[in-house]
Amino acid sequence: MEGFSIVDIYETKGAEYLFVIGYLLILIIFWRLMRNPGKTLRQIKDAVSILSAKILKIPQGIYFNKNHTWAHLGESGAARVGVDDFLQHIIGDLQFSGLKEVGDSIKQGEILAEIQQNGKHLKVYSPISGQVLETNTLLTDNPEVINEDPYQKGWLYQIKPSHWRKETGSFLLGEEASVWSEKELTRFKDFLSMGAMQKYSADPAMVTLQDGGEIRDHVMSELPEEVWMEFQQEFLNE
Amino acid sequence: MYRDANTSLFKFWLGELKPKGKILTPFNVIAALTILAAVVILFFRFSKGLGTVVHPDQDRPWGLWINFNVITGVAFAGGAYVLTFMVYILGLEKYRTIVRAAVLYSLLAYMFYAFALLLDLGRPWKVINPIIGNSFGISSVLFLVAWHFILYMGSLLIEFLPTATEWATLKRYRRFFGGMTLAVVIFGIALSTLHQSGVGALFLMAEPKIHPLWYSEFIPILFFISSIFAGLSLVIILESIGRGVFKKEQSSSHRKAHGSVMMSLARVCAISMFVYLFMCMLVFIHGKDYTSFGEGWGAWYLVEILGFVLLPCMLFLYGYKQANLTVIRIAAIMSVVGIILNRMNISTIAYNWFDHSLHWPSWMELVVSVAVIFVQLLVFRWIVRRMPVYRESPAWVSSDGKLKKSLHTTNKWRNKKWKASA
Amino acid sequence: MGNNRRNFLKTIGVVGGSLTFGKSFAAGTKKSENKKEFYAILYDSTRCFGCQSCEVACAVAYNFPAPEDYPDPAVVRKTNTSQRVVVNAIETENGEQYMRSSCNHCSSPACASACLTKAMHKTEEGPVIWREDKCMGCRSCMIACPYNVPKFEYDSPNPKIQKCRMCYEKLVEGSTPECVSACPAEAMIFGKRRDLIDLARERIYSDPDSYHHEIYGEHEVGGTGLLYLTALPPGDLGLRTDLGTVPFPEHNKTFLYSVPAVLVLWPAFLLGLRNASDEVKNNLKKS
Repeated sequence: MEGFSIVDIYETKGAEYLFVIGYLLILIIFWRLMRNPGKTLRQIKDAVSILSAKILKIPQGIYFNKNHTWAHLGESGAARVGVDDFLQHIIGDLQFSGLKEVGDSIKQGEILAEIQQNGKHLKVYSPISGQVLETNTLLTDNPEVINEDPYQKGWLYQIKPSHWRKETGSFLLGEEASVWSEKELTRFKDFLSMGAMQKYSADPAMVTLQDGGEIRDHVMSELPEEVWMEFQQEFLNE
Repeated sequence: MYRDANTSLFKFWLGELKPKGKILTPFNVIAALTILAAVVILFFRFSKGLGTVVHPDQDRPWGLWINFNVITGVAFAGGAYVLTFMVYILGLEKYRTIVRAAVLYSLLAYMFYAFALLLDLGRPWKVINPIIGNSFGISSVLFLVAWHFILYMGSLLIEFLPTATEWATLKRYRRFFGGMTLAVVIFGIALSTLHQSGVGALFLMAEPKIHPLWYSEFIPILFFISSIFAGLSLVIILESIGRGVFKKEQSSSHRKAHGSVMMSLARVCAISMFVYLFMCMLVFIHGKDYTSFGEGWGAWYLVEILGFVLLPCMLFLYGYKQANLTVIRIAAIMSVVGIILNRMNISTIAYNWFDHSLHWPSWMELVVSVAVIFVQLLVFRWIVRRMPVYRESPAWVSSDGKLKKSLHTTNKWRNKKWKASA
Repeated sequence: MGNNRRNFLKTIGVVGGSLTFGKSFAAGTKKSENKKEFYAILYDSTRCFGCQSCEVACAVAYNFPAPEDYPDPAVVRKTNTSQRVVVNAIETENGEQYMRSSCNHCSSPACASACLTKAMHKTEEGPVIWREDKCMGCRSCMIACPYNVPKFEYDSPNPKIQKCRMCYEKLVEGSTPECVSACPAEAMIFGKRRDLIDLARERIYSDPDSYHHEIYGEHEVGGTGLLYLTALPPGDLGLRTDLGTVPFPEHNKTFLYSVPAVLVLWPAFLLGLRNASDEVKNNLKKS
């Protein structure tokens, strides 16, 4: 300062430049880390089976109602009705209650049965009107049948339909049903990520789905009563 | 909720004055008692002199009101300029749900911290001098900071008036102020850059007095960068608290977006903290004063930087990757503590550090300091419960903030023109 | 076209003419060559014996109570709201030495630069004075002053800042500050700063063994109005030697210079960003 000994005001510049180079390299790594959310989410997806439209079974010849029930007219003139694959996939282990008795008459839109799981319940409404010929006793003892085979072994009732043609006229079949099923899956994902998950989920790993992540199987089993009630409103009531 | 076109403005405002919600909550009671105590204390402060309330110290002229309420508080009000930048400049719509609350919080913050500054002035009535041009001390950093505060408060006010005019159903004013938003946001961001760094520049001349680990010529830049994550951390905390406290007022789209907005904010915080840490290291290399790590100051510095900047940065990163809101909230609280530590270190704790005694503020100073914050929170709550800060705007405003076309036909001036020609 | 060329030549002619002859035209109106030079006080610590006459004279002149304490090596006395100059005694290898302490009236004062109302004012004559009518009591001057000189009246509802003003009112009338005239040992000399530095150098050259070979205040913080001659290095007598020679207001230079630049550049940059983001949005909408 007084000019009596050596002073170099740019002494540290060398070290600073080296430091900046190091920083830029580390910044690249940090940025790549920060870019994508939840590797954990991806791990969950891989480990657990993913519910995607490809997994949902849409057998031919089955009429689908938009409230997730189906009806199939057998050769004998009796129709079988049940709940679709979508419902069983998202709910998982379930029990049926409030089943109709043989000989009961049922109208389209009346309660078909109630699905129960851990105190939570959903009401399923009948796709067609008619008289109940048979109930599937297999279901009461082995409810897992519905998860394995919702369209064949997992039927709910055999009904003698009273207005088959009129009532099934608006139902979906085959290719149409596949397309609708995919749309329903997307609608369900939106339903979860926009509403249910954020408000009610106890598991934080489920929170972000906005990048098109997939849903875990049996996801409804982890969600509380409030979500079930909303689901009832959105998907099962017509 | 909104003024009905038949009610006069005055009657509407009178009606809105009625308290909404319970009066005797624990928060209200504590706030009221603190404010009452503060009023009494301030009476003594103004009638008998500053020294009756604060510890008179010729070596430490600035006390809690300037060092904490103004200097630290300003850092936390940085949420407004960052969020308005993201929404109005970068067009990131996902933050639109929280930008109004951030602007409101900042507006109140600046107003009340300017008030706290007035309390700390020896002769507050002379504050007019540098404002009306009686004497512009243009070489002073404080002059710049004071002017920027005033201009920025004006900007924030204009940014907030669309919300207020929606509440009072003043359509023409809503359109007028809405049109000024972009200009005022740009001006506000430039101003914020300068006064966030300016608040740090206040200490540049105190070089012999501040411990070398905290003092450098880069203090303004460091203050500016840290104000980014300070403001956003506070927004995260506000949103998390508001989720419970303001449940009734929040629109469903606001509540639905909560999780993803928090995630994105966490990401921005993590990145800005990362950059800040490297700036600190660069500044340290530049200053090359490795001997300053002695006498426990080094350990204290590491506590602030590693414990309350590096650690929350890592937590933000972890919370973002794991999509864990709780971790993010903890990180936000730690980052807030880190900012308080940093500002208080530079202004108070490491100021005049060679004088080895500890100097605690007087309890009266603390009470007034806290009371100012309480008043700010009460006003915030009053406004949020009435104006569309969290709620959806009324029907005559569309979702992107612009007015719906139908407003044009109600323009009296245009109708008048028609009449004249017909 | 012809018109433009004519205008161009006219402009060139005017500019060129004023550049060559302008200086002589303007010279008559230039006042800066008659700029006043700073006054200063030279304090020779080797002549001071701690009699406190300067303290008493200052107290009398400004209606303060007479000092109750005295220079004591065990106590570091500081100026305060009723004492604008104090003398300290320091125990050294050469026996007891004395050192005056007061405002140093820096050539480029930190306090005046920090003051946002221009209450702290560096006069043309040299003394740095506090102007009561402008001060709002923000105490920035206290933060800025490297010597911690300004003292604030905490116990008053209308507080003043107290510090030495080199008896400015007397100075402009042509007399000398009270402390200088009161000193029986003539340890202080009042005069133009330039002359006092010459005088100080003369004293050092003519009696090199009695003095430390440095005038404290010649370069410190860019030069001060109080110049000190000492028998020992100034640091041994309590004078700060770690303040550097750069005037303190220059610490703010980079920041203050960048303010207008930011106000110019930021809005342009932000508008550009906004434009770009709007375009991206429109493209997304279209596709």
